[in-house]
Amino acid sequence: MAVFDSDRMPGLLSAQITVRYAGKAPVLRGLSLEIARGEVVGLVGQSGSGKSTLALAILGLLGRQRAIVEGSILFQGVDLLSLRERELRNLRGRALSLVLQSPLASLNPALRIRTQLREAWRAHCNDDATTEDCDQAIESALRSVSLPSSEQDRDFLKKRAAQLSVGQAQRVLIAMAILHRPALLIADEATSALDVITQAEILELFARLNREIGMSILYISHDLPSVAGLCQRTAILHEGQIVECGATEQIFTAPAHEYTQRLMAALPQLPARREAFAAKAKATAVE
Amino acid sequence: MNVARKLACAVVVAVCAVSLAANWLAPEGYAKQFRETPNAPPSHQHWLGTDDVGRDRFARVLYGTRISLLLAPAAALISTALAVLVGGLAGYLGGIWLRLARGFTDLFLSLPWLFLLITVRALLPLNVSPMVSVLITFFVLGVLGWAASARVLSTSADGLRNSDFILQARASGLHGPRLFFVHVLPNLKPVLYAQFWISIPVFILSEANLGILGLGVAEPMPSWGSLLRELEGLISFREEPWKLAPLLLLIVVMTSFQLLLSNEEVTA
Repeated sequence: MAVFDSDRMPGLLSAQITVRYAGKAPVLRGLSLEIARGEVVGLVGQSGSGKSTLALAILGLLGRQRAIVEGSILFQGVDLLSLRERELRNLRGRALSLVLQSPLASLNPALRIRTQLREAWRAHCNDDATTEDCDQAIESALRSVSLPSSEQDRDFLKKRAAQLSVGQAQRVLIAMAILHRPALLIADEATSALDVITQAEILELFARLNREIGMSILYISHDLPSVAGLCQRTAILHEGQIVECGATEQIFTAPAHEYTQRLMAALPQLPARREAFAAKAKATAVE
Repeated sequence: MNVARKLACAVVVAVCAVSLAANWLAPEGYAKQFRETPNAPPSHQHWLGTDDVGRDRFARVLYGTRISLLLAPAAALISTALAVLVGGLAGYLGGIWLRLARGFTDLFLSLPWLFLLITVRALLPLNVSPMVSVLITFFVLGVLGWAASARVLSTSADGLRNSDFILQARASGLHGPRLFFVHVLPNLKPVLYAQFWISIPVFILSEANLGILGLGVAEPMPSWGSLLRELEGLISFREEPWKLAPLLLLIVVMTSFQLLLSNEEVTA
């Protein structure tokens, strides 16, 4: 089912997996998903469909939940499922990054922002790296996500999670995730907890990072409009399987699978009054 | 802070300050014997009288208070550190480590505390110098007093292990001792402080229990426990009420600690 144009973009990730918890029915059943380099792929599905399980399986973080992962996850030509924990740790945060749903809960409440960013950087820095190197990397990452990064704004780095707005916290998390310029960023419901305006800003940020760094993004969400606005391809996850995958425009305009059609039918329509206002505004602009 | 807690705080601070000033308030020390005046009643020279070998009781109360109030926190520090190692680490690791730690902690808690304390102290050398006896007593208290704190810490660390920010830290490539000490431990601070403060009065009372039984701090060094031992030979409270001074002080300080620790922030 996976649509993958290898002539246009070289492959980055190719997953064919089944995930089950001991004594329970599989959460993911023969799921197949491919992501090309520099591509933004949306993964849509309702709550409990296995979206986060896929994210954690790619990062090798399901082990602690006693999950059994079968199949293969090829990332840059290496099967992640065959790697030892030490090798996986070397990829996490450096080549594969994660941004979670709740920005404020995902930042350590006891640590300052500077400490958290430094920790994320030190996890993969060279032995001969200096504090200046670290500060430069942090400044660059903060600039990328439009957060205060100059010397005059050092107070920002002294703050703790509780002192940030939700939007700032999400940007800090994204800055942490892109510190080492990963090849793939997994955004697991990264905009679900945000208000509409902040959500739009974060989506624009993802799109810019994708353009500027060439970073692939697996954008996991149950929010169809945000997927439509950001992703080049969209995969629909239903009951542990990808039931439809294709160009985002095709998925939204001509859904083939029954579940996808139900999803599209459930999209809220703009009220006629707003359309009228929009038409009026357009007419005024022409005049 | 309500009036009772302010008063309790003032009492603890005052007792600590006075005991720290023992060298100035009782310059002749706790061991000097006034052989011509044994068992003397209170006077200008000896405010609380003297004991049966002529030592100034006021000086002994001051120095004994200093020992009890300084070494109980030291023992609490040892027990809290052990609780972090056993409970905190097991909660962070989870799985079989957590089950093992909880089983071991439950087993430890099921043993009668005082019986265990007396047995272990009796197994250790008793014929040692006073300073060594002080160290042994409070070290034993610290080493045996970790279980309750470990239980609380294991539950807290278990909760943190599954938190979003620890998952995020793992996803950033952090792992091992650094993840525990830099990311988990700072979040256990409120629990650690609470366990530390709660342990102090427990250890003060435990030392007093050991002292009464002659298993605590060795003579001539005083502690609240060894001072209370004097009450064994008390015939009448009415005739010699000054001998109750160490007991009264113990009750006042313990009550003050209880009032201080009743704060919701500490006991939460």
